[in-house]
This record gives sequence, structure tokens and C-alpha cells, in this order.
Amino acid sequence: MKFSIPDFFKQLFKGLDALHRSNAAALTVFEVEELENIFALLLLGSFVGFPSPPTFLAVELLPFMEKELRILNKRAKDSSDMFAEMCGTIGID
Amino acid sequence: MTTLIIIVGFLIYLILYFTYGKKLERDVVVASDDNETPSQRLYDGVDYVSARKEVLFGHHFASIAGAAPIIGPALAICWGWAPALLWVWFGNIFIGAVHDYLSLMASVRYDGKSIQFVATDLMGKRTGYAFYWIVFFLLILVVAAFAAIVGGMFVRTPAIASAYAWKIFAALILGVLMYRLKMNFGVATIIGIIMLGAAIWLGTVTPIAASYTTWMWVFFFYIIIASAIPVNVLLQPRDYLNSWLLYAGLVLGFIAAIFVFRGFEVPAFSSFSPVLLGGKPTPFWPAIPLVIACGSLSGFHSLVASGTTSKQLDKESNGLLIGYGAMFTEGFLSTIVIVSIAGFGYTALQNAGVTTETLNPGNWGAMFTKASASVKLSKANLFVQSYADMVGATWLGFIPTKFVKVIAGMWVASFAMTTLDTTNRLARYCLSEMALPFKEKAEGFYNILTNRWIASVVPAAIGIWLAATGNWLIIWGSFGAANQLIASIALMTGAAFVAKKLKSSFVNAAVIPAWLLWITVTAALIWFIAVVQPGAIAAKPGPGWTVMVILIIMLILNFIFIADFIRTKAYKVEE
Repeated sequence: MKFSIPDFFKQLFKGLDALHRSNAAALTVFEVEELENIFALLLLGSFVGFPSPPTFLAVELLPFMEKELRILNKRAKDSSDMFAEMCGTIGID
Repeated sequence: MTTLIIIVGFLIYLILYFTYGKKLERDVVVASDDNETPSQRLYDGVDYVSARKEVLFGHHFASIAGAAPIIGPALAICWGWAPALLWVWFGNIFIGAVHDYLSLMASVRYDGKSIQFVATDLMGKRTGYAFYWIVFFLLILVVAAFAAIVGGMFVRTPAIASAYAWKIFAALILGVLMYRLKMNFGVATIIGIIMLGAAIWLGTVTPIAASYTTWMWVFFFYIIIASAIPVNVLLQPRDYLNSWLLYAGLVLGFIAAIFVFRGFEVPAFSSFSPVLLGGKPTPFWPAIPLVIACGSLSGFHSLVASGTTSKQLDKESNGLLIGYGAMFTEGFLSTIVIVSIAGFGYTALQNAGVTTETLNPGNWGAMFTKASASVKLSKANLFVQSYADMVGATWLGFIPTKFVKVIAGMWVASFAMTTLDTTNRLARYCLSEMALPFKEKAEGFYNILTNRWIASVVPAAIGIWLAATGNWLIIWGSFGAANQLIASIALMTGAAFVAKKLKSSFVNAAVIPAWLLWITVTAALIWFIAVVQPGAIAAKPGPGWTVMVILIIMLILNFIFIADFIRTKAYKVEE
């Protein structure tokens, strides 16, 4: 593939734009994920072993929540290994 | 000399990246784009999703860069500029960056699990559990160290305190513009940068003068309040403005260091054991990792690398740039700091009132720490002044010196304050994990320890109390010890990963640094406990004993790690 200076700068600015957008949202995304976890646990907790009875709302939403259930299951499995992810989001150095 | 060192440093990092770095990638980690990374194998569009390598590099670098790569080298100048540079260059290349890269790639091969998980799997459960203890101590000590540094800086240069307060105000407005009014991102960014510039200017015209004790109280309440409010109100927009401050500081510093063409005022080598930590002769080995952490080697980076970074890595070949390359970039930042102080630090001290009789190249090792303390010029302020003078001595001199001073001060203060108000979250998590053994046996005690407000207040209170003693050199050394202890476990884990999982014939590239680091950290801890800490206890028994207990627990944990490393033969490739 031929190296093109305009393409190089285009990719560079795209990368910089993506980087700054990520910087402007990283902490908020982390907080939103925490809130999503809590919401999903409250609503669908019984499907991952959380002792709460399924509400009519959960049953009605079930057909639309396949992706959320999968992610919830994965997060439940990863919940004992949250430490490094918190360190990665929170800058300590 | 400044230009030469910057160019030599840049070339060393560049050449070693493409030689030693590539060898690590090819022969030790055996990285291949044919291997699916967790972001591909476990893709879910939410947690496991590929990020562009530039974004990941920028995010990873911003997470690992902070105030420490500035303060450490400023302290290490007491050995002369050459030993400090040697550690920043070669300690980084052969130990620090190897540590970061192996932590990242071990996590990638473990489906994005943390280095703590990998350590538990390869070395045993108690090694994994010990992470919580050491990080908890690290968080207390880093709050103490950074509060002391920023407090000293605010007292000496009230304009920096004022600029920081105005920046908080600017961050609040930016938060409203970006997240409430949902203003166009580019426009909001430009407004944010203009407000940041205005905050720096306003700082120079409306300085806030207050005593050190007053600032300690301000920081304590700031920590509590900042950790309680939603992140999009203050922390998020403030972090975004910080990233622009980081770029400005790096770019200005790099350009100035290249074009200043100045010789060094500081001697290349002063003494093997100059007076530094606790007012005691501090031997270069084993104390150097305690003094210069993040610019060369930092255990905390292993947690950052094995956190979100490993889950978003697009392909394995990007790992070298992000894990190894980001650490080199931080080393380069520390190089700029050393160059600025070596070139302008002595003049800064003389302008602050230090005479040639008191401090000169002949007695540099014995008198540097005492002389700067006598004129109340802390290492943070020494860097601020040196950096401003370096920029002013180039074609960038049209920027007013007091403006550049505030930029440099804000650079240090912003990252240090970020640490202050976010450590509470991590400390709460650590405390809840450390308290787990009490959950069944002493539920009442467990509930008290893990109470949200108690868990937030206790680490902050201990940290600020230690900072209030003013003896920040003791705290800095202890913080360095905790940080390097984590580095020691992480590097041992990386070595174990290379030996046990990769079965690489180049395992020594990981095992030798792991052993060297363990021996160095152990020797440093023993020296600190035996030589430095008794003086601190005699001066102020309460804080002195608190730090002593922390150091002793860490030393015991250190011996447990090596026992697990040897017991599991984690250093050996077995067929």
C-alpha cells in the first residue's frame, strides 16, 4: 500500500479526535456501567442467581434483553476481578 | 548539553524499542495477530470492544502519567544528573517497560483478567490477596505524599492555588456545556481550553495565600466532597482539561529542552550516598527505585495495563506500542524534568536565596536537600521554576514566565489532586475485600469497616494526617516502597507467565529483572526501616510508628511473595 501524506494526517486527526472523545467520557462511561449493573441486577437478578422474584416487568422485557442478560452474566463472572479495571479508569500515578 | 541529552534520550528509547522491544515481542511473548485478543474473542460491544491503538495509547499513557514522574527525578538530582538519567533510561528499558508490557500481554492471554488474577493462578491465592493490602497502604501513602507536595507548592506559589481553583470552576462550566447542554464536542473543547488559559491567567492576578495546615484541611474536605458528587459534574470535565494540560506541558517542555542549548549547572555525579530521605545518607542502590518510581518503574502500571487496556486491545502487535511504548514516553517526560533542573535548577536555588558557599557542585550531595529546604524551595517548586526558566530562555520566551510557572505548577497540582480525590473509591474497594475474612466471624466489625462513609474517611484522614507532619521525604520513600513492591509481584507474575504458560527459552529476559527487583526492593525496605524510620519516629512518634508498621507489614508480605515464587518454581520452564 502506497504511503500517502494526506491519508496519514487524516488518520492521525481521526485518531486524535477519537482519543479526546474517549478522554472526555471515560469516567462517565465507568459510572454508567456501574449504574447499569445495579439496574440490571434489580430487574433481572433472579436470572443470575440474585434472590429476587421476577417482576411482571422483567418477564415482559425478557424478549428484548438477550444482549443485556449475556453481558450481565459475564459481568457477574468478572465481578470478583474488578480491581485492575478500577485502577485503569482511575488515574492514581 | 540540554539538547544533546534530549536527543540522546530520544534515540536510546527509539533504538531500544525497535531492538530489545521487538525481541521481547517476537521471542518472549511471541505476539501474533493470528491470536485473537479478548476484544475479538469475547466481543460484546460494551466491555470487550476494540479501540484504536492511538486512543488506547493515549488513554493508557494518561492513566500512568501523573505527578510522580516529575517529583521523583527532581529528588534524584541529589545524586547528580547522570545517575538519575541512567535509572530513567536503563531501569525503564530493562525493568519498568518490560514489567508494563508483560503485565499487559499476560492479561491479554488470560482473557482480559487482571494481573492480580494471573498472580493468584500462577503463584497462589495469598499472593493475589496481598495485592489489596499493599494497594491500600499505597493509597494512603500516595494521598499523604501528594497532599504534602501540593500543599508545599500552594504555600510557596499562591498563584498556582488560585489557578487550580479557577480551573475547578472552569471544569464545572465545561461539565454543564458538554453533558447537560450537549454542546458540539469540538466547540466545547475549544471553550474548555480557553477557560483553562483564563484560569491560568487569573491565577497570576488573584493569588490565594494560606498556611500549610489550612491547605491540609481544604484537601481533606475536598477529597470527601469530590468523591461524593456525580463524576460528570466535576471529575470527568476536570480530567479532560487535565489531558490538555499534559499535552501542553509535554510539548512546551520538549521544544524548550531542544532549543535552549544550555550546559548543565548540576554536577553529573555528586556522591553514591547523598543526604536525602529522612536527612540520612541515601545510597543510590537500593534506594533509587524508592525515589524515582513512575518515570522508570511503577507497580501501579501493571494494574492499569491489566484493567481496561487489555480488554480493548485490537491485536497483539499493538501491545508493544501501548505497554512498552507508553512507559518509554513517560521515561522521556522524566528526561525532560531532569534536563530542566540540571540546566536551570542551581540558578533557581540561588535566586531563592541559596549562596554559593552553602551549595556548590563540590558539596552538592551533602547540601542539596538541606539547602533547598532552608529556602523552602520544595522539589515541586524547583521543577516549576526550572521549567519556567528553561522555556523563557528559548524563542518561547514571549510567554510570560509567571504564566509558564503556573502552567508547570498546574501540571503537577492537577495530576496530584486527581490522585487525591479518586483514591477513595479504590480504597473503599480494597477495604471491603480486605475485610472479607471478618464477614462471617465478626459481622459487626465488618459492617463498620465497609460502611461507605467510614471506608471513605479513614484512608483520607490517615493520608492527610501523615501529610500534615510536613515530613514528606519519609512519606515519598514509603510510597515508593509500596509502589515497587507491587512492581515486584507483577514482574514475578510476568516471569511466571513467560516460564509456565509461554515456556519461552528467553525466559531470563523476565526472570532476571524480577529477581533483581525483588532483591533491590527487599534491601531498600530493610534499609528504610533500619536507618531512616527511627529518626522519623523520634521526631513525631504517631505518624512515625504508623509508617513503620506499614513498612514492616510490607516487608513480611515481600518474603511471602518470594516464597510463593520459589515454591511454585514460577521462574523455571518445565517440560
